[in-house]
Amino acid sequence: MVPKIITVGGGPVREVRIGGTEPLAFLGGPCAIESRSHARQMAERIGEICDRLDIPWIYKSCYDKDCRSSAASFHGVGMDEGLGILGEIRSDYSLPVVCDFSDAAWAKPTGDVVDMIQVPAYLCRQTHVLKAAGKTGKPVHLKKGQFMSPWNMKNSVRKIEATGNHQILLTDRGTFFGYNMLINDYRNFPIMMENGYPVCFDATHSVQLPTSMGDVSGGQREFIPYLTRAAAGCGINALFMEVHDDPSAALSDANTVLDIKYLEVVLAQSKAMHMLRLELLEKWGEDRVHLDG
Amino acid sequence: MSTSTDKMTVRDILLSPDDIPVMPPRTILKSALEMMSAKRLGLACIVDDTGRLIGIFTDGDLRRMLLRTQKPLSAIFADDIITHARREFTTIAAETPIADALRLLEAREIFDLPVVDDQGKLQGLIHLHPALRALLNT
Repeated sequence: MVPKIITVGGGPVREVRIGGTEPLAFLGGPCAIESRSHARQMAERIGEICDRLDIPWIYKSCYDKDCRSSAASFHGVGMDEGLGILGEIRSDYSLPVVCDFSDAAWAKPTGDVVDMIQVPAYLCRQTHVLKAAGKTGKPVHLKKGQFMSPWNMKNSVRKIEATGNHQILLTDRGTFFGYNMLINDYRNFPIMMENGYPVCFDATHSVQLPTSMGDVSGGQREFIPYLTRAAAGCGINALFMEVHDDPSAALSDANTVLDIKYLEVVLAQSKAMHMLRLELLEKWGEDRVHLDG
Repeated sequence: MSTSTDKMTVRDILLSPDDIPVMPPRTILKSALEMMSAKRLGLACIVDDTGRLIGIFTDGDLRRMLLRTQKPLSAIFADDIITHARREFTTIAAETPIADALRLLEAREIFDLPVVDDQGKLQGLIHLHPALRALLNT
């Protein structure tokens, strides 16, 4: 199935169309908003790379990291300051922005600022959260929980649809494989596409080893290029990666964020694979093999 | 109501939509099976927003699908009923004489037939047993 196209941004910010035969979109930025200057610096540096590669980009960063392994971990700059910074980035760089929220009450103020609202993977079943996301009227970036089957994401999709919102991006960020370990099941993409919405691959969280280091998560970033090329070949419409200029000093997800020095090579290869995939789609048609069972 | 079978039509014995499993196309299979069990019928009627019959799904379709598919049961349960429904099916009009309806059931070796109007909208269902009861009571 060729998924529908969703539109993020537009007006005063760049418009990013995701789905169908649109170019591969990139959702990326530092995991957490660390400071105004860092957020702006990352916007400029990532923007240079995306402009050079001509990749449509949505700036991603969050003001509250509610799923950290430890209560002592950096939790975020908070909603007011964070949304203020995202609003500045949005207006100063004409960039669409995406940010998650962890409490249904935060959805409206977040949706009032961002161009796309994100539902964290751990909360992907929560009815209040999903309905709050849908009611913002903004496109919803819905991550498949690590514990969820791809076919059961339909239930979450329909909770959002019940609000009248039909702009949804479905993302795979890895699936639990025993304790402290994730794997990627690429069957998830065509299965989630059956909902009729575009799909996205979250590369940096897929290589996470959840809470593998006692009170913090580890990660095997060396696999990111392999996983992203494979995902692009599977027909994803967007790629999600958290990026940092100094991962060892990152205040959140230090073991999984991609060092910005590798961003261009990963994005360039992902784009090339995505374009090849579209060429194959045009030449051979959709992947309709043994769909009758 | 007519008093003899030669004057009776399908309308006299049809089960109303309230008494049969009727559902929209995006009903998940698990819910569809529950509705079929609750109504004690082996045929589900899938209708669009206007009430037009767009597909049927039977116990036989379920058996054949289970033998054919390699998907896990949890995934099958989450499928929309329309993905497994038959889009081509036989229907009958409410004005059809009951004897003709029974002959059709017998010829097709089936137990149920959806009843639709000239717009294709679902009017109900004839089921073999109410039809037999009508015959036996006259």
